[in-house]
Amino acid sequence: MAADAERQELRPNLRDEAAPDDGIVVVRGGPTSPEKILAHAQRTHDAFVLNGNPLWGISVFCALDDIGPASLDALLHRFASYRVVHLPRVGQLRKAGFDLLPTFKRPHFTVSLPSPDEVPRLLGALGSAEPNPYHGRRPGRR
Amino acid sequence: MVSVDITCDLMDEDESGYVWTFLREARDPSLIEPGAIVVAGDEDAPAVAEVVEIVDKPAGKVVHLRLLPGVIEDYQALVRRAITPA
Repeated sequence: MAADAERQELRPNLRDEAAPDDGIVVVRGGPTSPEKILAHAQRTHDAFVLNGNPLWGISVFCALDDIGPASLDALLHRFASYRVVHLPRVGQLRKAGFDLLPTFKRPHFTVSLPSPDEVPRLLGALGSAEPNPYHGRRPGRR
Repeated sequence: MVSVDITCDLMDEDESGYVWTFLREARDPSLIEPGAIVVAGDEDAPAVAEVVEIVDKPAGKVVHLRLLPGVIEDYQALVRRAITPA
C-alpha cells in the first residue's frame, strides 16, 4: 500500500460540475457485495488522495443528459458487460450521507466514503440490482 | 467460470479516459503489454479489452485498458464460428 505522499492528487481532476439531486440516475455495475465495494474503494484509496487526505471511493456514471453519451441508455449500452446494474438516484446517495465528486471526464463521478466501515451502508444506498437490458442482447450472436 | 487476466473495476476511469487498474492486479503480468487483448474486470463482469499502455504513477504501475464493444460471449461465438469447419 502506498503512503499518502506516493498517491496522485485528485483535486486537479475535479470538474466544476455538480450532479443535481432530482431524478438523476446513477449507474453502478453489479452485482455488488461488501467485499467487492471494499476492494474497489481500496484501489481508489491506494491510488489517490484528495487535498492530501486519504480517499475511499468507488466509480459511478451519472445519466446527466437525455440523449448522447451521458444518457442512461448510452451508459447501459456502454456497460453491457454488467448483467445487472444498480440504479440509485443521486438524491438517495446524498441522503444516505455519500458525496459525489465530479472526477475525470463527464459523466464519471466518484462516490466517496468517509471510511471503509461505511461500505455496508453504501451497499444499502445503491439499492437492488436490476437487469441490464443490453447484456446479452447483441446482433449476430449464434 | 471466466478467469480474468487482470482484475479491475470496469467503471474506474482516470484522466486518460481509459479504464485503469494496477499492473499488480494481473494474473500473469507478462501478458499485459500494449496491444495485448485481455479479459478484464472480474468473474461477475468480465470484458474484452485492449491494453493501451502501462504508466508509472506515484502508487505504482497503472494499466490503461480500452474496453472493446459487446460482451465476452460475442467473442466466444466469433471464435467458435471462425474455427468450425463449414
